[in-house]
Amino acid sequence: MLGAATKRRATEEQQQTTGDRPAGVTSTEPVTKAVRGAKTIEARDVNLFYGDFHAVEDVTMTIAPNKVTALIGSSGCGKTTFLRSLNRMHELTPGARVDGHVSLDGEDIYGKGVDPVEVRRLIGMVFQQPNPFPTMSIYDNVAAGLNLNSRGVSKSQKDSVVERSLRGAHLWEEVKDRLGKPGSSLSGGQQQRLCIARAIAVEPEVLLMDEPCSALDPLATLAIEDLIAELKNRYTIVIVTHNMQQAARASDVTAFFNLDATGKPGHLVEVGATNEIFTNPSQQQTEDYVSGRFG
Amino acid sequence: MPEIARGEYLEELATLEASALGGLDLVAIALGRTMEAVENQDVELAQVVIADDDRIDGRYLEVHQGLITLLATQSPVATDLRLISALLHVLKSIERMGDQCVNVCKVIPLSGNDAPADPRMVELILKMGAHTRTLIMQAKRAFEERDVEMAQDLVRRDDVVDELNRECFHLALEIGDDADRREWGMTMLLAARAIERVGDNAVDIGEQVAFVVTGLFREFEDASHPS
Repeated sequence: MLGAATKRRATEEQQQTTGDRPAGVTSTEPVTKAVRGAKTIEARDVNLFYGDFHAVEDVTMTIAPNKVTALIGSSGCGKTTFLRSLNRMHELTPGARVDGHVSLDGEDIYGKGVDPVEVRRLIGMVFQQPNPFPTMSIYDNVAAGLNLNSRGVSKSQKDSVVERSLRGAHLWEEVKDRLGKPGSSLSGGQQQRLCIARAIAVEPEVLLMDEPCSALDPLATLAIEDLIAELKNRYTIVIVTHNMQQAARASDVTAFFNLDATGKPGHLVEVGATNEIFTNPSQQQTEDYVSGRFG
Repeated sequence: MPEIARGEYLEELATLEASALGGLDLVAIALGRTMEAVENQDVELAQVVIADDDRIDGRYLEVHQGLITLLATQSPVATDLRLISALLHVLKSIERMGDQCVNVCKVIPLSGNDAPADPRMVELILKMGAHTRTLIMQAKRAFEERDVEMAQDLVRRDDVVDELNRECFHLALEIGDDADRREWGMTMLLAARAIERVGDNAVDIGEQVAFVVTGLFREFEDASHPS
């Protein structure tokens, strides 16, 4: 039932979507009440499609709060597509649809009347390529989400959110004297931390990260990994990474996705404690992948 | 290109494993010579065993360095990681086994040039040596074949060595009041104890076989909590 409803809704939205705000749903009722804290994501029988192409098949997994969950797997295995389905970003792609159930602390994020924009506020995303708004100042980059999501925020409130977010992203000390400079003036690693500051400014409960360090040098990567370790105290974190050592270093739980052949849907092979996956995985496919024997 | 590098890594790991386990052949040779030296009170042969221990130590250093390099450069995980961890333990056991043979050889001059004070004791020690040699070769085969059952069977065989060691102890107690005979008995007891430890090291290697295969480490026998 849910699957059929979800498909119908996705199709409707696809027809009506403009820009990055699907217009099919007008309600702005929040997914959850205003209780702060990391939340559990539950994915059940999730299938993802791009038109006729079945990209991800039957993923069922629970993503625990205050933990870093890494999604690993070779290119095309559906891990990024699955990640994007966790905050309804998947549906921004024309022809994309979702079948199955995704809930945040028991509340269906694809439920009737749920505003996808609110979902994306609660479940923030950090992308592979640092993407600060290039012409905006550092300050405005962080305040951008705030401007979109909250009306009537005073300057002093905004100042305090910007400072708190930049501190939370370990960037404050480096930029506090040049908040008016453009975001693009920062180094790659700083830009990525700026994007993390922007994501946490709107007080999400979950942070999704799509290969957040793949464009960064090793030092900037370590800075982001340190930050992730700290952020998990406040958020649920899901990270897609091609870097196996990063998954091993930075995550508590690892989920391995694979596909049987090109053109086949990706599926979840195994999910478990990261130390188990990297020392004694239960599936041969996982063993072969993490040991670098294929892919 | 990465596939070639990975292929070389796997080849290198296999070579290091063969080289580490080859250390058990060196130990078997050292133990054979040690037993011959005990039987004949051959001080010169004992000296050869002592000098030759450098080969076992050299093997240890060489394979150890190779494994550390793989850890540093290849980030091994899963079975590869367990294998490398196990090999580091196995190397240590092999090095200890070599040292125990040296310990026996060092006491041979102390036993004097006279005929053995009690030939039964020498006979027991030779028996221990023969059983322990079998243990060493079985540990090697169990590791090569990743055979947990064969590895667990080492405990049963080691019990035989332990029993022979206890018999040596009783013989030493009954060896009489003569100071020379007592000294000889104590010396032989040290030799028996060293060989008994070689058997224990073989069992330790068996435990590493189980770890490589199952991912779980547990002692086959817990000396502090015997079943």
